[in-house]
Amino acid sequence: MAVYEHTYKPYEGKLTPAWSRFLVLPRYVYQDLFKYKLFIALFVVCYVCPLIYAVLIYLRHNTSALAAFGVTSFDIARELPIGGGFFFAFTNIQTWLAFIMTVIIGPVLISRDLANNALPLYLCRPFTRFEYIAGKMSVLLILLSLITWVPGLLLFLFNSYLEGGGWIAENWYIATAIFTLSVSWLALLALLSMAFSAWIKWRTAASAALFAILIIPTPIGFAIQGLFGTTVGHLLNPAMAFGSLAKHLFRLDWMDAFLTEGESWFVFAAYAAVCLFMLSRKVRAYEVVS
Amino acid sequence: MIQSQISNLKSEIVFEDVSKFYGEILGVNRVNLTIAPGITSLVGPNGSGKTTLMNLMTGLIQPTRGRISILGIAPSDPQALFRKVGYCGQFDSFPKGMTGYEFVKSFLSVHGLSNKEAEGKTWRAIERVDLVEAAHRKVAAYSKGMRQRIRLAQAIAHDPAVMILDEPLNGLDPMARAETIRLFRQLAQEGQHLIVSSHILHEVDKMSDRVVLINNGYILAEGGVTGVREEKMEEHPMQIMIRCDRPQEFAARVFASDSVVEATLHPDKQGLFIKTRNADAFYQLLNRVVVENGMNIESVSPVDDDLNAVYHYLIGSNGGGQS
Amino acid sequence: MNPIIELDQLRIEFGKRRILHDIKGALHGRCIGLLGPNGAGKTTLIHTLLGFHKPAAGTARIFGRDIRTEIKEIRTYAGYMPERDSFIANQTCVHFVRLMAELSGLPSEAALERAHEALFYVGLGEARYRKLGTYSLGMKQLAKLAQAIVHGPKLIFLDEPTNGLDPPARKRMLELIREVRDSGSASVVFSSHLLRDVEECCDEVLIMKDGRIAAICDLEEERRANRRFVEMETRGATPEFALAIGSLGCEYAMTGEQRVKLVMSDGLEVRDIYKLAAERNVQIRRLNYKRDSLEDIFLKAMEQ
Repeated sequence: MAVYEHTYKPYEGKLTPAWSRFLVLPRYVYQDLFKYKLFIALFVVCYVCPLIYAVLIYLRHNTSALAAFGVTSFDIARELPIGGGFFFAFTNIQTWLAFIMTVIIGPVLISRDLANNALPLYLCRPFTRFEYIAGKMSVLLILLSLITWVPGLLLFLFNSYLEGGGWIAENWYIATAIFTLSVSWLALLALLSMAFSAWIKWRTAASAALFAILIIPTPIGFAIQGLFGTTVGHLLNPAMAFGSLAKHLFRLDWMDAFLTEGESWFVFAAYAAVCLFMLSRKVRAYEVVS
Repeated sequence: MIQSQISNLKSEIVFEDVSKFYGEILGVNRVNLTIAPGITSLVGPNGSGKTTLMNLMTGLIQPTRGRISILGIAPSDPQALFRKVGYCGQFDSFPKGMTGYEFVKSFLSVHGLSNKEAEGKTWRAIERVDLVEAAHRKVAAYSKGMRQRIRLAQAIAHDPAVMILDEPLNGLDPMARAETIRLFRQLAQEGQHLIVSSHILHEVDKMSDRVVLINNGYILAEGGVTGVREEKMEEHPMQIMIRCDRPQEFAARVFASDSVVEATLHPDKQGLFIKTRNADAFYQLLNRVVVENGMNIESVSPVDDDLNAVYHYLIGSNGGGQS
Repeated sequence: MNPIIELDQLRIEFGKRRILHDIKGALHGRCIGLLGPNGAGKTTLIHTLLGFHKPAAGTARIFGRDIRTEIKEIRTYAGYMPERDSFIANQTCVHFVRLMAELSGLPSEAALERAHEALFYVGLGEARYRKLGTYSLGMKQLAKLAQAIVHGPKLIFLDEPTNGLDPPARKRMLELIREVRDSGSASVVFSSHLLRDVEECCDEVLIMKDGRIAAICDLEEERRANRRFVEMETRGATPEFALAIGSLGCEYAMTGEQRVKLVMSDGLEVRDIYKLAAERNVQIRRLNYKRDSLEDIFLKAMEQ
């Protein structure tokens, strides 16, 4: 009879390409997330709105279908203009759903690694802090993109297909707006939730902080405006920046905006920089004790 | 007769049929122990009941059943007990913002000493653990070993007669270990009781007067190290490894004797294993064989005459919650 | 033989504080002990070799690779078992070790296979499917060791691996370390305060003090060298026995009630000692040649 010895053996096989390693992190998080039926349900619910919008676009170009439902007196072309406003409404709804997802996924992304000092084990491998942050960000960015600008652009292409002619060339700014606004807002949400996750241990507190950063600056900005007559207070307000950017990018004349396009980008950039700074202080392989 | 019994009581720690349950979970069951002055080590796996036993001694918890007497004082009398008992626990936590000196002195002031007295005792304790230069630095800036030592200082500052120390050498570098063991031996010589729990068996072997082995909430053995071995391992013949230049000849010579049960040649032909039921007789035989046959002995090592062997025999690797 | 670790005037500073003072040395052993008092810079050295700190001056090389320029390659074949608790509480052990393997570059299926292999090797059975947050201290140490070896590193840094382990777990951990060392596929750097453990496993030690190297010692050589020190444990009239040894011209000392240490004088053999023992009816229960044991080496290094 042969007795097999199990000794320590080195690894001799192939290694995965270095650039793709950061994607290991989202893969692992998704495996854990999609085990929960509730989460799958939420993810599916996020597609209800795109579906409705697709139906609306279809009905807009196929009034005969409306007639089939017995609705004849409804002038859909007038009541439902498909332009900047239409796609902005869609983006708005989906980014709010994205925010809800961020509140669910974001606060534990980094706190769980910090809670028991797992960072040194990540960083003693050929894996930099940058890849760690990029990996954690992709967890949110990939998922949230799938429910915001990806369906948004698909709806845009669907509509331009049905419209035909030069519609797409005239309205290309809408596609750019959908993409740019969504991606930058998602990136900001991701950075905010990760920064809070890195600094705040308790999940509820980190979630509360996320809500706070979106809600509290608004009354403060308006108070400053009322007291001092200046819109400078709104520079603290990411939600306000979002709205102002939407107005400028989607060319929404009917909307009020308290910030210029440049100021809005500045707000986004400033918040992103602060978040990155907060992250760089916490994402380290060792604690520095003075 | 009764007088001597009472005076004995005042110098011993006595556990009489003590059990402690946490709901249905067993802490310790039917413990009978008498601990004399000197260093008594508690040895056993994690989760075996060592911490429960120590907490019972300090009065931090009360027994479910049975009686405990610490130098004649019952743990239900905390005022009197805490004057006599010092405790240094396992956990590395400190009140925020204190320096080492403040940490030790604040505990002393609880004992109702005057400021001057407290200062004096604080410095004495800090000197004993060799932390005088660091005394005025914040504890948060201490290394692991320094934190261990300042906690020790706090446990001994009020000159307790009984010191209960849970893994006191944890985190100490080799020199600090040797010095702390020296401190313990000095305190033991002064007549104090030291109850020390440790996993490092060769250190326990070196420094303890008595050892208590505990597993799964039961006391398995108690006594001086060699004493425990001789008692428990009678059924278990003693094994000795002898390295010499002519092992076959040696084997032939000793086999003829009654005291040797088994002799096995080592595969490298440079030594042999002996099993004997009568160690004294065998060793005297060894002397004679070496002298008469002119053998060259390389080394003699009893394979199981130490705490390691006893531990392995009584507890083995079944202890604790390992999977 | 090429050195495994080369330290070349390595200087590490935290702000204004200098932690490592231009240290220089070369280490060749299969199992290298790292010793020194608290604050000597051991952990800082390990962290530097793993690339967590950038040298203020000088450099170090691991298997010939410079830590300043090739740290990613170095990390590919280095493993690290930190002293402090290091885990992700709500992941199962297999999941965790597999994640670590993938981050080291192993493809997904290979990572799973090796994770199980590593866990089998360290002795974590069914428990590997439980969450790390439920683990006892000993099991957490084993999990830490598993993630340190799962990707088959060539150099494994172990910082206090036996911390908090009860005797059988300690024995098993030291056995594992010796097995890894003897497999020939990896070298180990073993940092510990327990000199016995280091003596059992290591063939070379680096002793540090105050951010400098106090000594580099080849234990194998020490063990082979001068064999004139003898240690004995006795039963019987030990003081008289010791005196008799002295009268033979040996330097001797009683290190306990029944322990004697001596230096054999020229021309003396062990059987002469036995003759004395037989004459006085003293049993020599334990006898061995003792080199400057690691403790003596360490204390000597500290005195400098």
